[in-house]
Amino acid sequence: MRTRIKEFRARHNLTQEELANKVGVRRETIVFLEQGKYNPSLKLAHDVAKALNAKIDEIFIFED
Amino acid sequence: MKDKIEIVAGILIAVAVLTTLYFYLTSVGHIGSGEISVAVIALILVVFAIYVLWDRLKNVQRGLPSKDERLININHKAGYYAFIAAIWSAVGVPMLSDFLFHYELEGSRVGSAVVIISGFVFAISYLYMERKGN
Repeated sequence: MRTRIKEFRARHNLTQEELANKVGVRRETIVFLEQGKYNPSLKLAHDVAKALNAKIDEIFIFED
Repeated sequence: MKDKIEIVAGILIAVAVLTTLYFYLTSVGHIGSGEISVAVIALILVVFAIYVLWDRLKNVQRGLPSKDERLININHKAGYYAFIAAIWSAVGVPMLSDFLFHYELEGSRVGSAVVIISGFVFAISYLYMERKGN
């Protein structure tokens, strides 16, 4: 899985900590999400996408 | 508020364990390798617990939750591995002792070994998964 969280975060001028605060998770979770090392639940993916004003499939890209 | 209560309760438990260890070591009289190994194992587990509490406190101070979905998943996975380790060590420790040393372990010793092994498995798998991500 690849994510575009970092790109969208930069567009919204948000730090990892600010995004974590918006979504209600720990900063480490945002770090691992950005690195594609953590597969989030549908709810978390939805919350991240909502915080970044984007659709889930714009943020999280699943590659075969 | 719930996070803070959990952290305070964790600190109190760590202090209680250290106090118990202190009274145990001062009342046992002769301190041999057995007592030292018990103390070292307990200290390692307390240090792990303090690390977890410090990590949670750090997040609470920043206004972030002390645990989230990822950490809860890690806790569940580490708990599962510790449970499997507990079952296998309950069977394996007396068998190994019998095969290797021809010594039949008492039930209380096996119980201690199960607690120690599952505790270490939990701590190691928790730290590994916390660093690895998923």
